[in-house]
Amino acid sequence: MPKNDSDILFSVSSAHITLETKLGLKVSGRCAVTFKTVSGTVFYELEQDLRRFLDTLRPEFDLSYRAVTDRYGYMWIILEGRRIEDLLAGLTAVAGTVEEKGFSDQLLAAVFEFQSERQNGDKQYVIYNFKRNSFYPFVPAGDKSRNTEEEMKIMSAVAEEMPFERDMSLWYPLWDLPLRARG
Amino acid sequence: MYARKKQPWQKRDGGLTARIIISFAVLTILYLIFLSVLVYVGVDFISIAVIASIMILLQWYFSDKIVLWSTGAKVVTREQFPELHDLVERIVARNGLPKPKIAVVNTKIPNAFATGKSRKSSIVAVTTGLMDELETEELEGVIAHELAHIKNRDALVLTLASLFSTAAWYLMQFSFYGGGYRGRDRNSAGGMALIMVVAIVTWFVSFLIIRAISRYREFVADRDGALMTGKPTKLANALLKISGTMKRIPTQDLRQVEGMNAFFIVPALSGDAFASLFSTHPPIQDRIKKLMELEGDMS
Repeated sequence: MPKNDSDILFSVSSAHITLETKLGLKVSGRCAVTFKTVSGTVFYELEQDLRRFLDTLRPEFDLSYRAVTDRYGYMWIILEGRRIEDLLAGLTAVAGTVEEKGFSDQLLAAVFEFQSERQNGDKQYVIYNFKRNSFYPFVPAGDKSRNTEEEMKIMSAVAEEMPFERDMSLWYPLWDLPLRARG
Repeated sequence: MYARKKQPWQKRDGGLTARIIISFAVLTILYLIFLSVLVYVGVDFISIAVIASIMILLQWYFSDKIVLWSTGAKVVTREQFPELHDLVERIVARNGLPKPKIAVVNTKIPNAFATGKSRKSSIVAVTTGLMDELETEELEGVIAHELAHIKNRDALVLTLASLFSTAAWYLMQFSFYGGGYRGRDRNSAGGMALIMVVAIVTWFVSFLIIRAISRYREFVADRDGALMTGKPTKLANALLKISGTMKRIPTQDLRQVEGMNAFFIVPALSGDAFASLFSTHPPIQDRIKKLMELEGDMS
């Protein structure tokens, strides 16, 4: 993985503290990385490699994972763990593997889930766009609408600590995030 | 002498703001041309000083009438707009301020401004568009911002700034010509042209300085207004709505957009740096950031 993506993603390990102290946002223990699937055996092998790799991580890192494909044809690797360091390690490793196999063009975004103490445990997200190498906030408010007030608060809190997307017209949402555990 | 105004960020609100600026700009230019002519025909400097002072005082005295006339704002009574009056009264009562006159401009474009000769003789104006678009607490934030301008005597501050720039023009003219205008030089076309150039340059430089002071005072009004209401995020929301920034935040899914190579198009933000030199307001993002910091400090 190019050095910058990995380093940039690690800025979450300090930014999450700021989000907690300034806005009462706690890491929910769930994050994900998503990339566009390509049909063919090479991509199937990638998926197998990822699963095998994540299985080896398990004893050492407190991590569990799920792989899901959505209706847009994007694969999601969803990671769950108690410690942000483990989540970040897993996330960057997954993205790194995708890159090594030659699919860096397919990498779209990483998503970090937070729980708001002040807003009744509502979920708020920070999205990392691999193509722009920058973060932006996403707070869904039911039925394809967004809580811009909360999003602006996130920007104000951490925009200086991480490469932040200043152009709000590029804050594209990811609706129906498959982060909830099912079944 | 100056109307304090909040304006949408895009050029779509040419109307209201342009009218105020144009009115005062035309007056200022006429005023400078008039004084230049006096200098040229050899009027002594004491008379010019007196005339200039009278002109400034007149412009100060009639400033609110000029603003009302140029914007089409009409002062409204409690019977006409009871909720608006209530809103203003709540803020002034809680903060120990005299209640200003209230004016309304009938336009869909959301905007607000304050003007006035003194704290006791001021006007706060809002457009019908603003009242339609904002929720009560957001409108409250905007009005508190305008009241802060009145409280901080920003109109006076800016008038003094323009007074100083006029004095600077005055001094430049006379020191350049060694204190006298009775020589042969003043009759030449070159002499006249030089005087005009000096006048225009002075005006332009003071224009830029006044813009810079103006931007600083906007931050102060944001802060003081937020302290009056105790709700900085509501003003931030209002700013977002007024500036149309909220409309820019997309609803299209990232996965849909990615296919269209949206990220290879670099948005044209370069215009901002140039525009910010000339604007009376700091960039919206900076204002919101400061308001959020204030919210953080308050909680």
